[in-house]
Amino acid sequence: MKVTLVSRSGREVIKGGIELADGATVSDLQEAIHGRIKKYYPSRQRLTLPLQAGSQGKPIVLVPKSKLADYCDGNANNLTVLFKDLGIQVSYSTLFFWEYLGPLIIYPICYYFPVYKYFGYEGERVVYPVQTYALYYWCFHYFKRIMETFFIHRFSHATSPLSNVFRNCAYYWTFGTYIAYHVNHPLYTPVGDLQMKIGFTFGLICQISNLYCHLILRNLRSPSGNGGYQIPGGFLFNIVTCANYTTEIYQWLGFNIATQTIAGYVFLIVASLIMTNWALAKHRRLKKLFDGKEGRPRYPRRWVILPPFI
Amino acid sequence: MAGFLSALRRIYLSLYNWTVFIGWFQVLYFAVKALREGGPTTVYDAVEKPLQLAQTAAVLEILHGIVGLVRSPVSATLPQIGSRLFLVWGILWSIPETRTHVLVSSLVISWSITEIIRYSFFGMKEALGFAPSWLLWLRYSTFLILYPTGITSEVGLIYVALPFIKASEKYCIRMPNKWNFTFDYFYASIIALAIYVPGSPHMYGYMLGQRKKALSKSKTA
Repeated sequence: MKVTLVSRSGREVIKGGIELADGATVSDLQEAIHGRIKKYYPSRQRLTLPLQAGSQGKPIVLVPKSKLADYCDGNANNLTVLFKDLGIQVSYSTLFFWEYLGPLIIYPICYYFPVYKYFGYEGERVVYPVQTYALYYWCFHYFKRIMETFFIHRFSHATSPLSNVFRNCAYYWTFGTYIAYHVNHPLYTPVGDLQMKIGFTFGLICQISNLYCHLILRNLRSPSGNGGYQIPGGFLFNIVTCANYTTEIYQWLGFNIATQTIAGYVFLIVASLIMTNWALAKHRRLKKLFDGKEGRPRYPRRWVILPPFI
Repeated sequence: MAGFLSALRRIYLSLYNWTVFIGWFQVLYFAVKALREGGPTTVYDAVEKPLQLAQTAAVLEILHGIVGLVRSPVSATLPQIGSRLFLVWGILWSIPETRTHVLVSSLVISWSITEIIRYSFFGMKEALGFAPSWLLWLRYSTFLILYPTGITSEVGLIYVALPFIKASEKYCIRMPNKWNFTFDYFYASIIALAIYVPGSPHMYGYMLGQRKKALSKSKTA
């Protein structure tokens, strides 16, 4: 069969199109494109069916494992496919590793090295126990995140655009510096002992719960990377859709209760807003997918991310 | 009911736009008058009150966007109004040493011409239902010059203010305190300056896009 590849402006991406066997898959098409244009490796290609003139709705994305013939609706020998270059891609593991590495390195630098002398604070500084525990807590948190990235998470997309590396690193590294600067400051004022213990204990429990949530999510996806969605269940997922985000937010709350900085609370609020956005989208998607019709289960009533508010 | 609310909206927006128009007209008038009579160092004192009123009133526009009274996206109005308020209150009012600088003249003239055109444009659309094509053209063309002159004046004045901000320690919150919070107005102003680097091309590009849309639409209309 012949595939005509066009860009959104109508221009032919590969002159004359591509000839493939009738039983070829989308993946074969992606390899063929990559063979003709070296820089377009498969994860950089976004292939969709052209939208019918005047029709609304989202375009149909070609799925790698499907047969090309499945997308032909009349003419079984000809298919027109819309091509979009997604730009340079990096693997999600790479993206997460770099964004988490910043906080993991910057925070100990503020704790161990005399950086505050460059801000005009000379002399020895007194280090309170809470500041030491905060260092351990923070570093454990980001170390855990890096480990989860390599050993636990199963990503729905293999890659992410390179521009996200800069954007995400700016976010994590800037906030990391902002918080580390204030918690390790020579003029830091610690909270009471009980408040510190409550904060760190609660935070630790939430971090462990968060890890358990990630394990549950991992087991929802098969290792062959079929993607797709399942209804999450078990543990906190029985009451809230994005229990992993819930535990993450509460874990930062624990850190802030123990360390009490405006910087930490600002980060908590911004992170919560970002995660709430994601959670609302995921919840909506699951409800739409599991609508109870045609034998599909119905998505049970659940909180989205932060019971009892949302 | 819907017709009544829509009429109410039109009356309110007409009143709002024409009132602020008058404010900016005063700014331009007093600025030019002061320039001719006393020179650039006297401009600020002549325009201070109408400038503060007209610019601060623009906060209402953020509200208008949020409640849906107007179509402008909050993401475009917020940085614009933010930088204006920072200049009017955070620099000119807070740091008096900047008031006699020649950039104050270019600042208020750039701003007032832009706003006179903008508010009369919206004022006409709300009150009369249309705006003349020459006003449309002005609205989407004068920014080509006035954005660069205005932005240069803004950046220049913030830069001029920096040493005075550092020396005065104004608006600074130091540690130790219960919430382990610090705020350094000097560093915050430097960050504000840094934001102009990506922010200015973004705003200019946005207006270029708006210009293309608005002027091509009027051609085919």
